Amino acid sequence: MDPSIEPGQTIQPAGSKPPKKVLCIEDERFIGELYQRALKKGGYDTTLEVDGAKGLELAQSDKFDIILLDLMIPNVTGIEILRTLRDPSKTPHFKGKIIITTNLEQRDDVRQDIEKQADGYIVKAELTPNELVEFLDKIN
Amino acid sequence: MAQNSDYLSRTKRQYFGILLSALLSGGAIVLGAWVLAVYLIHPLSNLMLGLILAIAIIVASWLLSIILSKSLIAPLRALWQLIIHITPNGGLPAPDIESLKIGHELVADLSAQVLQLTSVANIAKLNPTEETNHDFISNNLPLPLFILDAQETIVFANNHAGDYIGIKPSDLIGKNFYMAADMAFPSENTLDKWLKQVKTNSATANMSWERVRLNVLDNHPTRLFDLAAFYNKDNPQHQETVIVMFDHTKQYSQDDQAVSFIALSVHELRTPLTLLRGYIEALYTDFKESGNQEMTAFTEKMNATAQQLTVFVNNILNVARVDNDQLQLQLHEENWSEIVMSAVNTISLRAKVRGIKIETVIAPDLPSVGVDRISIYEVINNLIDNAIKYSGNSNTIKVEAHVSKEGMIETTVEDFGLGINPSIMPNLFTKFYRDHRNRSQIGGTGLGLYLSKAIIDAHGGNIWVRSQPGKGSTFGFTVQPYAKLAAEVKNSDNKEIVRGAHGWIKNHSLYRR
Repeated sequence: MDPSIEPGQTIQPAGSKPPKKVLCIEDERFIGELYQRALKKGGYDTTLEVDGAKGLELAQSDKFDIILLDLMIPNVTGIEILRTLRDPSKTPHFKGKIIITTNLEQRDDVRQDIEKQADGYIVKAELTPNELVEFLDKIN
Repeated sequence: MAQNSDYLSRTKRQYFGILLSALLSGGAIVLGAWVLAVYLIHPLSNLMLGLILAIAIIVASWLLSIILSKSLIAPLRALWQLIIHITPNGGLPAPDIESLKIGHELVADLSAQVLQLTSVANIAKLNPTEETNHDFISNNLPLPLFILDAQETIVFANNHAGDYIGIKPSDLIGKNFYMAADMAFPSENTLDKWLKQVKTNSATANMSWERVRLNVLDNHPTRLFDLAAFYNKDNPQHQETVIVMFDHTKQYSQDDQAVSFIALSVHELRTPLTLLRGYIEALYTDFKESGNQEMTAFTEKMNATAQQLTVFVNNILNVARVDNDQLQLQLHEENWSEIVMSAVNTISLRAKVRGIKIETVIAPDLPSVGVDRISIYEVINNLIDNAIKYSGNSNTIKVEAHVSKEGMIETTVEDFGLGINPSIMPNLFTKFYRDHRNRSQIGGTGLGLYLSKAIIDAHGGNIWVRSQPGKGSTFGFTVQPYAKLAAEVKNSDNKEIVRGAHGWIKNHSLYRR
């Protein structure tokens, strides 16, 4: 038996990776839909969430490989979600990648702080949905 | 320390002012008396007029001297009042120090002196109230005050300090000061940097900073203040550094609000833009796949136009940042040909829909550069955008990059279009300036070159233009090779270089990892 395979692990035949799971926390529903459409075409499995609190709960569930995180969202802000996910005492074993997707402008020092904690920072207006998919392909 | 002699010279100026006003009023009285005497000796002159003139001169000089001495002596009086206020059994009310924009270092300095004196008094049991020296400061100094030991650990914080940064004073003791007070400074000379310097070079020193910012990320409201520090190496109680904060949030945040308003508008503009670009892309893909050539071309043009709008929205915001000293750049080591090529790729759609081809000639083996990726993209974007706008009937734009004679990396964007009238060349990099001849035909705001210059300046480079009317224009700029910047990095423990185009600089210790 292959020692690298843990008991209970799902084994895929070579060459057919399971689709990456993306959680898109985005309160502008139209943008969310456009992203979901492009991501689906690009071979990603996407879940949309408009609410910050529910989004955080989902993100902490360990089910997602990539979190697309808007900053200005209702109930729990994107920055709070980012901090909670990056805090091992609040979210142990978090392995997903966090990509900030925002149109909000920060002061440069704040942006740099956020960038340091995230795996990517995207100004939504600067990328089309397809370009976002290309970006995700690259960071994987 | 330059700042040190600065407050001495201010004090000197105040004494000079007092002397000047004394001389002025004295001189005026003599002059008035003389005028009066002349008129009394020659009774033929108009005696009444002479009298009125003399009295007017005396009164005016009297008033002048009062005004001068009031404004000049006020800071000294406040300090004197403060000294009595914070000493045991002082009894004078707290002076309004916040309204005075000078003497900040003196306050930190005096606080340190009083602390030392009162602790001596404590030891000698001269203090009748039996309060500790810290309690005096705590109860009486109307400003946030911290005392740090050699490791920048807080050994004392008064109640005002706790209130100000939103942590109980008792919880502050033993904490690293930079961790407790998350500060950003307006220049590269941060408290952290200064302390490191004085610890190796000086026994005592003082310094003050304007426009320091607190709590950049937390929900706690932002505080903007001036900060003064007094350093004393040989303090017997391990109270090496005394830090005092002077709140000016109300005054300083007015500048912030202007930028916040623009930032909010930018957000509102970007959301519909994101949607437009998303839908245009979906349509474009669909038309292209179904082979509808006309619609494919239309949607391609729509996309290019929306892209241009995005660049413009960014320009507005960044100009506001430059104007309010809030643009901050992070210079990293980057591959220049990769940056130029990727900027050209992004913009090539805009050129393509106007039938223009961008030729790139990049010298092989360019050294790596030290640039802020996002900002330098905007410079290239703006220069190529201009070249497209002013190309007229020509259909080529040339982008070149090479090492200049001075060892800088020089990049040029050349068009073969309308050219620029020599008379307006000197104003090209001024805000809102555009070529008037073309204003009716070509859109634009005159922000792009102004912003580009600010960004290139902050990179330590140069931007220039050469043009011949009717033949075209060449815009060029230089950036520094990373090796040149690396010397700056060597002396600090940060891998990156933070430059303000005159933005906020983090107090770096906090961000060590």
